[in-house]
Amino acid sequence: MIFALVLRHLRRAGLIIVALSGAAMSAALAVERPARIVSLNLCTDELVLRLADPARIASVTWLSQDPRNANMADVARRIPANHGLAEEVLGFKPDLVVAGTYTTRATVSLLGRVGVGVREFGVPRNLAEMKAQITEMADLLGEPARGQALLAGIEQRLEALVARRVDRPLRAIVLRPSGFTVGRGSLVDEILTRAGLVNIAAELGVESYGQIALETVALGGAEILILNETPDGPPSLAHEILHHPVVDRLGDRLKLVALPSRLWTCAGPSVLDAIELLVRAVEEKR
Amino acid sequence: MTPDALPGFRPAPLLGSLAFATLAMTAISMAVGYAPLPLGQAVTDLLAGQKSLPALVLYELRLPRALLGALVGFSLGMAGAAMQGLLRNPLAEPGVIGISSAAAFGAVLVFYSGLSASLALALPLGGIAGALVATVILFILLGRGASTTTLILAGVALNSFAGAATALALNLAPNPYAALEIVFWLMGSLADRSMNHVALALPLMLTGWLLLASTAPALDALSLGEDTATSLGFDLGWLRARLIGGAALAVGSAVAVTGAIGFVGLVVPHLLRPLVGHRPGRLLIASGFGGAILVLAADIGVRLMPIRPELKLGVVTALIGAPFLFALVQRLRREAL
Amino acid sequence: MAITASGITVSLGGKPILRDVDAQIRPGEVLGLIGPNGAGKTTLLRVLAALLAPERGGVDYDGASVRQLGRSALARRIAFLTQGGEGPAALSVETLVGLGRLPHRRPFAEADDADRQAVAQALALCDVAGFAGRAVGTLSGGERRRVLLARALAVEAPYLLADEPLAGLDPQHQLDTLQLLRRISGDGTGVVVVLHDLALAARFCDRLLLLDHGRKIADGLPVEVLDDVRLAQIFGIHALRGVHAGEPFLLPWRTLDNGKTAS
Repeated sequence: MIFALVLRHLRRAGLIIVALSGAAMSAALAVERPARIVSLNLCTDELVLRLADPARIASVTWLSQDPRNANMADVARRIPANHGLAEEVLGFKPDLVVAGTYTTRATVSLLGRVGVGVREFGVPRNLAEMKAQITEMADLLGEPARGQALLAGIEQRLEALVARRVDRPLRAIVLRPSGFTVGRGSLVDEILTRAGLVNIAAELGVESYGQIALETVALGGAEILILNETPDGPPSLAHEILHHPVVDRLGDRLKLVALPSRLWTCAGPSVLDAIELLVRAVEEKR
Repeated sequence: MTPDALPGFRPAPLLGSLAFATLAMTAISMAVGYAPLPLGQAVTDLLAGQKSLPALVLYELRLPRALLGALVGFSLGMAGAAMQGLLRNPLAEPGVIGISSAAAFGAVLVFYSGLSASLALALPLGGIAGALVATVILFILLGRGASTTTLILAGVALNSFAGAATALALNLAPNPYAALEIVFWLMGSLADRSMNHVALALPLMLTGWLLLASTAPALDALSLGEDTATSLGFDLGWLRARLIGGAALAVGSAVAVTGAIGFVGLVVPHLLRPLVGHRPGRLLIASGFGGAILVLAADIGVRLMPIRPELKLGVVTALIGAPFLFALVQRLRREAL
Repeated sequence: MAITASGITVSLGGKPILRDVDAQIRPGEVLGLIGPNGAGKTTLLRVLAALLAPERGGVDYDGASVRQLGRSALARRIAFLTQGGEGPAALSVETLVGLGRLPHRRPFAEADDADRQAVAQALALCDVAGFAGRAVGTLSGGERRRVLLARALAVEAPYLLADEPLAGLDPQHQLDTLQLLRRISGDGTGVVVVLHDLALAARFCDRLLLLDHGRKIADGLPVEVLDDVRLAQIFGIHALRGVHAGEPFLLPWRTLDNGKTAS
């Protein structure tokens, strides 16, 4: 009898806790203009930095403070940095946390368990998804107007760049650290197409991100070789491959384009900088 | 077991066939790759000085890979035979006893600190320094023909320490990719090497080979014991210096450019020993060629296997070598009883 | 021509092993190094073979020091046979004995006729010619010792220094070895052997050098060196003496109760 009574009380208590935390979570998510935003991902950092006033940003990741890796490093440097750890996040007392779908699962689930809701943003697979993401983030941050403005700017630049295209698309291939390339169904693939290029890796059947042998790069019949790297970075074997002598020699017969990774790693207007760089390369090649 | 009556050993036919096999494997290695390459045209273009695309791929990609396979294999095979002569134990081998991982640690320190960016030669020198420290430590611990157990234990200790130190160095390295690159350093690979790597490693390896080869008669005498070897006119101190220095040069520069590839110096001398009449001196150069053949074969296999990303070379040699090591340990224990 | 050692003093870890020992090895003579265990016989032999440098004193070889002679010249002058040891099991007998020719061969030269002849002769002298093609590991302990002796003989050096060459040999081969040593000394080789067996030492050596606790006690003809007093004081035994076919012999007979205890 007593046992049943205790159980009933516990259940009720449990329900109340769940209800309260649910309320807390939806309260966190439902804040109209969050004033203490924490971002746990390089790409969400960039969007937050572009769309919200620095005063409302509690923290961005340390990666965004390096101008070699990030596009908004100057602004980011004035904001406290985090390393993606749950304890740090709680210390900032956020009313909104944004992260990527690849942000450490343990951290995200821990935050969820203590009632701090985390909104996750995936990697956009094409320009349409990229634009949708910008809109979603702008709404989340309570800055729909700025979101619209950003999109409008992107549209404008894109039209101008596409207009510069000439008839025959050039054959291109992307070489990334560790010999990775970019294939079908990725944002970069669409960027190449918009810039008037044919992605050889997509032709060879590479899906999204995959490895490609240097031999294939050399013998693939490319007219433009896009080297995707972090310039002036500290040494690693991954970057060594981009400086292989064969790449240098290939420069005699095709156009080498150095394209910093930060331009197209994340969704944002920097993508247009990448397209512009490529369009200019195509024009020079002709 | 050793047969009662041993066949006479004729060096010329054995070394000749091994050398020929090495050349053949090198050629085959150049014919294997990831993209269809018109080999005949590439060769003619290259020889004619024509800078065509096939010639470019052959010279900048296929050739260094094949050459390095042969050079690294030669170094590892010869160093293995030398270590076995020095420590008078058939299980001594740069990978098993920790010299290769120590060399990898030295190379990692130099590479990720940016030192080799300013001075390319620093990279193989770093590997050599690591190999030298390990070899000297081993010799001090084991010098005068230590037991197999002690040898293996020393190797485990060195391998663990060097591996951990390498992982630490990679974690502390400024580049975030570094931590992921430990697999290359500890398991080795010939992928995407260039003629720069060949030029960097070759002179140092060659010096190592010459030092090691010069010890051949002394190694034979050493098999009779230290006093007898001295009475036959050999300076033991100079012998040890050449063995240690030569092995460090050969292994250190090899590991610095291709990472640590293990077990080559264990399998090859063991297989070739009966063919050279069990003479440690004769085994040196034969093991060099044998090592080259083994590494080239493994590398050809790695490229022909439909596994992507490409298997690390050290994985293949470990798959062959580790069971071999077990069998060898068992045999030695049985013989000791 | 002689090897002359004077004032040899050697210490190991603070303990004195040899104290101011003089010795001379003449060609055509068999010198026996005798003494109780720990007397320093092996150490003295190693110093004579230039395998160990003495703290004080020195050795000269026909008037030249080790440094003046150089390692390779010395290797051609002195053949050394270590105590114990069985040789690497996997080598063939012929190959092992052939290693004795290394001092005569240029570093990477192949064996020539002189080498082959020396090896064949050494094999025959030690009665191991029948095992030439076999792996050393397939032979018995005594046979392996004879193979190692053959290796030392193959050097064809003017001096042969052997540390207990009789250990592990059966009586026939012990006598054979001693007769062999006498024969090569008759041909002009200077032979020094460390021996434990006093009877054999007295019979087969031209001279004996008696060591005890690192000091030279006596040096001369066996009958002079091994007098009753010394046998009692140093070895703690009493020996019978006799003559057979004109040759004197000595036979350790019993220990002495009030004699010196074993050192």
